[in-house]
Amino acid sequence: MIPTFFLVMIIIFLLVRLLPGDPAIAMAEAKATEAQIEILRERMGLNEPLWTQFFIFVRNVLTGDLGQSILLKAPVATVIIERLPVTAFLTIYAVLFSIIIAGPLAAIAALNKNKRADILIRGVFQIGLSTPVFYIGLLLLTFLAAFLRWFPVGGYGQTFWEHMYHLLLPALTVALYTSAIIMRNLRSSIIEVIDAEYVQFARAKGLSEGLILWRHVLRNALVSTVTLLGLSIGNLMSGTLVTETVFAVPGVGRLMLEAIFARDYPLIQGLTLTFAVLVSIVFLLTDMIQSWLDPRLRPS
Amino acid sequence: MTYAPYAQKRRFAVFKFFQRMQPGFIVGLTILSLSLILALFPSYIAPYDPNAFDFNAVQSPPSDLHWFGTDSLGRDTLSRVIWAYSVNMQMAFLATIFSLLIGVTIGALVGYYRGFSDVVFGRCVDAIITFPFLVLVIAVVAVLGPGLINMYIAITVVGWVYYARLMRAEIMAQMANDYASAGKVMGYSDSRIIFRHLLPNAITPVIVYWMTDMALAILLGSSLGYLGLGAQPPEAEWGVLIAEGRNFITTAWWLSLMPGIAIVITGFGFSLVGDGVADLLRPRG
Amino acid sequence: MKTVLFAAAAALSVGIITPTLAVERGGTLTFARYDDSTLIDPVYADRNPDIWMVSNLYDTLLRTEADGKTVVPGLASQYKLSDDGLTLSLTLRDNIHFSDGTDVEGKDIVFSLNRAKNPELGPWAGLLGSIDSVTADGKNITIKLKNPDPTIILMMATFNTAIVSKDAFDAATGATDQEKAQAISNADPVGSGPFVLKSHQRGSSMEFVANKHYWRQGEDGKALPYLDGIDFVVIPDDATRILKLQAGEVNAAEFIPFARVAELKADSNINMELFPSTRIIYSPINTREKTADGQDNILASKEARQALNYATNKDALIKLILHGAGKPVTSGLMASTTQLATGTEALYKYDLAKAKELAAKAGIKPGTEISLTTLAGSADDSIIFTALQQMWSQIGVKLSVEQVDGATRGDKNRSGDFDIHTYGWVNDVNDPAQVAGWLGYYPTRKAVGTGWNNPEFNSLYEASNKEINPEKRAEQYAKMQSLYAEEAPLLFMYETPFAVALDNKVKGYVQTPLGSNEFSSTWIDQ
Repeated sequence: MIPTFFLVMIIIFLLVRLLPGDPAIAMAEAKATEAQIEILRERMGLNEPLWTQFFIFVRNVLTGDLGQSILLKAPVATVIIERLPVTAFLTIYAVLFSIIIAGPLAAIAALNKNKRADILIRGVFQIGLSTPVFYIGLLLLTFLAAFLRWFPVGGYGQTFWEHMYHLLLPALTVALYTSAIIMRNLRSSIIEVIDAEYVQFARAKGLSEGLILWRHVLRNALVSTVTLLGLSIGNLMSGTLVTETVFAVPGVGRLMLEAIFARDYPLIQGLTLTFAVLVSIVFLLTDMIQSWLDPRLRPS
Repeated sequence: MTYAPYAQKRRFAVFKFFQRMQPGFIVGLTILSLSLILALFPSYIAPYDPNAFDFNAVQSPPSDLHWFGTDSLGRDTLSRVIWAYSVNMQMAFLATIFSLLIGVTIGALVGYYRGFSDVVFGRCVDAIITFPFLVLVIAVVAVLGPGLINMYIAITVVGWVYYARLMRAEIMAQMANDYASAGKVMGYSDSRIIFRHLLPNAITPVIVYWMTDMALAILLGSSLGYLGLGAQPPEAEWGVLIAEGRNFITTAWWLSLMPGIAIVITGFGFSLVGDGVADLLRPRG
Repeated sequence: MKTVLFAAAAALSVGIITPTLAVERGGTLTFARYDDSTLIDPVYADRNPDIWMVSNLYDTLLRTEADGKTVVPGLASQYKLSDDGLTLSLTLRDNIHFSDGTDVEGKDIVFSLNRAKNPELGPWAGLLGSIDSVTADGKNITIKLKNPDPTIILMMATFNTAIVSKDAFDAATGATDQEKAQAISNADPVGSGPFVLKSHQRGSSMEFVANKHYWRQGEDGKALPYLDGIDFVVIPDDATRILKLQAGEVNAAEFIPFARVAELKADSNINMELFPSTRIIYSPINTREKTADGQDNILASKEARQALNYATNKDALIKLILHGAGKPVTSGLMASTTQLATGTEALYKYDLAKAKELAAKAGIKPGTEISLTTLAGSADDSIIFTALQQMWSQIGVKLSVEQVDGATRGDKNRSGDFDIHTYGWVNDVNDPAQVAGWLGYYPTRKAVGTGWNNPEFNSLYEASNKEINPEKRAEQYAKMQSLYAEEAPLLFMYETPFAVALDNKVKGYVQTPLGSNEFSSTWIDQ
C-alpha cells in the first residue's frame, strides 16, 4: 500500500513537470508581464531543484495542503471538499440505479436462458455497452428534459429531494453502463446456481422457485456484484466525469475538465490525487465487504 | 502427392472454423468489413467534400440531396460521418497497438524473469490502476495538449499495463508446462524461448482482449473528441461532430444523432467480433 | 379650458405610457452564466467574470452612462480637475451608506483608493500610477497627482476604484489584505453597490440580494434596485445554458453563441439582446525583418500586410462566424465604442484588385507560403482559417494552419515565432490608453507581439498619456489611429457584441461595452 502510494505521488508530481516549456508561462495570462510570471514561478517553487520540489510536494500533500487553485483562487483541498459530495451523491445514486435495473432483468434473462427474452435483454445491453456515455446522456437530456420537459436541464438543486430530481437523468446515464456489466455477471451466476445439484435437490424437495432464488442465489450474487462494482469503480468515475460535464452537474468530474481547460495545474494534481485516493478506498472497502459477506475469504 | 492430405486437412479445418462461428460473429464481421471499406475509401464513397461550406444549404434537414442533412456552415453531415470512419477506425488501431506491443514485451519479460523486475512491475501496475482510466488519460492530455497524437500517447501511457498484466500471467502459466523447461535444457537462448515458444502459446487471451480494447478505444477516443481533448475541429471525428451538433440539438438534431449511430454500430461490431473470436479460440472440451 | 386640456393630455399620457414605462418592483432574477466569479473585489478582480460583477456590489465615485463614455456623478456629486491637471477634487454625496447601514465617509474613500493604487495588491495598480496622495476633509476628497494624467477622471468611474468599507476590512479576519477581502466576501459581505453578495457556492451558484441602503433612485422615485435579488447559476456549456432558458428554468443566459442568435430572435418568448462591446477580433502579423528561423520575412513590408487586409472579405467572415451579428473594425486601434475612436468606414474594405496590385508590389509570388497559427479546439478559428485560405489564394498566398493551445500561442506571440495568429481583446477600462498601449506601443509588449516599432507612434502615445487638454489628446489619438491603420501590423477583422438572451419578462438589463453586467435598473414584469 505505502510503496504504491509513493509511486502514485511520483506520477502526479511528474505530470506537471512533463509539461513542455515553463509551467509558469503556460499558466500565466496572455497579458501577464515578465515580473508577474517570475512571481508565479517563485510561488510554485519552480526555481528549486527537482528533488526539493518533490519533497515539498509530498510533505504538503501529507499535511493536507494541495496548493492554491489558480482558477478558483482558493485552496485546492477546500474546493475539492466542496464539490466531492455532489459526485458522491451521483455515484451512489447510479450504483443503486444499476442494481435496480440489472437485478430483475438478470433474473428474467437467466430463467429464460437462450430464449427470446434472454437474447433481447442481452442484445439491448450489448448495444448499451457500445454506446459512449456522453451520447446516452445527450439523448436523455434532449428527449426527456429539453423536449418533454419531464426533468430539469442539468444542475444540482438545493435540498435532498431536489438533488434526487436533478440527478435522476445523470444517474441513469451512468447506470446504463454499470448495469450492463452487473447484468451479465448476475445472469451467469444465477444460471450457475440454478444448474447446481443442491438447487436441483431443493427443487425436488418442492421449494418454490422464488424461495430458491432468494436463498441460494442472492448471497453468491451479492458477493460477485460487490466485487465487480468495486473493481469497476474506476470506470464508474470515468462515466461520472463525462456525465457531469454533459448535465452541468457541479461535481469534481466537471471541475477536472474546467481545471484542464484553465490550465490550473495545482487543481489538476489535486483532483487526480483525489480520484486515486477514492479508488484505493473503494478497493479496500470492497475487500472488507467481500470477506464480511463470504467468510471463506476472511484471512484466518 | 505429399501435399494432398495436408490440403484436405486444412480445408476441413477452415470448414469447421466457419461452422463454429456464431451468427453474431458473422454480423460483427460484416459490420467491421463495411466500416473498414468506408474508412479506407471515403473519397470514393462520400457524396461531398466534408469540409466544403455551402451557404445555400445551411442546416438543411435530411433530404434527397443531403441524406443526413447539413450543419451550420452547410457541410454535408453524411460526408463528414463517412470521413470520420477513417479517423475513428484508425483510432481503434493506433490507440491500442502500441499498448499491445509494449505491454506484451514487458509482460513477457517480467513473467519470464520475475524476481526484482516483477516486484517493480507489480508496484507500477498497482499505482496506475489506482487512477480511473479516463482521469489519468485526460490528465496526460491536459499536460501534452489536446490533439489526436497526444491522445494516442496518453492512452498508451496508461493502457500498456492491462496488456502487460495479462501477458505476464499467461507466460507464467505457460512456463509451468514441460516444453518451457525443455527449451532451457536444450540450451536455447532466453529470447528464443520467450518469443518463439512461450509467446505464441500465451498470446490468445491478449488477442481476445485486444478486440474488446479496440471497441473501447473508439468509445474513449470519441469521448475525448466530444470533450474537446481529442481530435480537433475542423477534423471530422464522431465525438467532435456530436459536440459540434450539440448546440443545435433541438433544431438540427441530425447533426448529433447521426455520428452517434455510427459509433454505436461500429462499437457493436467490434464487441460482436470480440465475443466471436473469444468463442472460437476458447479450448473446447 | 387650457387646464382641462392639460388634464386630458395628462390622463392620456398616463393611460398610454404607464403600461410600458411603469417599472415593477420585487422578484428574483435567475441568470445563467458561462463562468463563475472567484473573488468580487475591486482590487483583486482579474478575470472577466469577477470584473464584470464588481459594479453590482461596489459603487465608484463617478460613473459612466450605459454607453461607457459619458461620465456622470456617482458616490461623489461633483468633481473638478485643477487647471494644471495635478489636483482632482471631489465632493461626496449626502446620505450614502454601505449595505450594513454605516455611512460612506472620507476615510473609506482614502482607504479604497490607497488600496487600489498599491502595486503589491492587485494587478490594476499601474492604472493609478499617477496618484501621489489621497486625502479627505469631511465630504471633500482631494487627489494629488505626480504628473498630469488625462485618464484620471475615467479611472474614478472604473471598477478598480470602487469604494469598500474600511471598518469592514479592519474587522475582517486574516493576516493580509487579500485574506481579509476573501473573508469579507465569504462571511459578511459589506458593499456600497446596489446588491449584496448573500451566498456563493464556488463554481456552481451565487446569490445577490438588494442592498436596502442603496442611494440611487429608480424611475418610481424610490431607491434602486428594483429586484429583490439575483440567483446566478454557472453553466459553462452553451447548449445547456440555452436549453435552461428555453425550458423556463432561468430568466436569462449570457454568451449566446452567434450561430444561435437568429433562432433565439425568432422565439417570441425570448428577447435576444446584442449589446455593443469593446471586443475586437484581430490577428497580429509578424512585422520583423526576419522570421524566427532566420528567413526573410515577406510580411515585413507594409504593402504585403495591406494586400492581405484588402484580400480579406470581412463581411463574409462576419457572416460565417458571427452569423451577421457583428461589424468590421473601423478604427484599427480600438473598438468603435471606445472613447476617442475615429473612423466610420470599415478599414480595408474588400478590394481584390487593390490587393493584387499591392501583392505584386510586395513581391508576393503565386505559392508564397504563410502560416496561420490558430487555437486548437476553437471552432471559430477553424472557420477563419478555411475562409482566409480561400480568400488569400486569390492573391497567390498559400495559407497553411498550425493549431496550438492557448499557452503555446502566448509563447509564440512573446517570442515572435509566427507569421499571423488569431487573437482578441476586450477593454478593462474606459480610456483608450490601455488598448492603444497593448496593440501599438512597442515597449508594452512589442505591439501585441508583432514587433512593430514605430517611433512616431511611440512618441505620440507617450505624449498622449500626459496630455490633459481633451482636444489635443483626441488629435493625438486620431493621428495614432490613422498611422496604425496605414501600417497594418494587424489583420483587421471585426467587432463582436455581447449576446444575452432574456425571457420577455425581464426589462432594463444592460451589459456595458466593457462587459460589466448591470442589474441595478433591471426589473421583472410579473
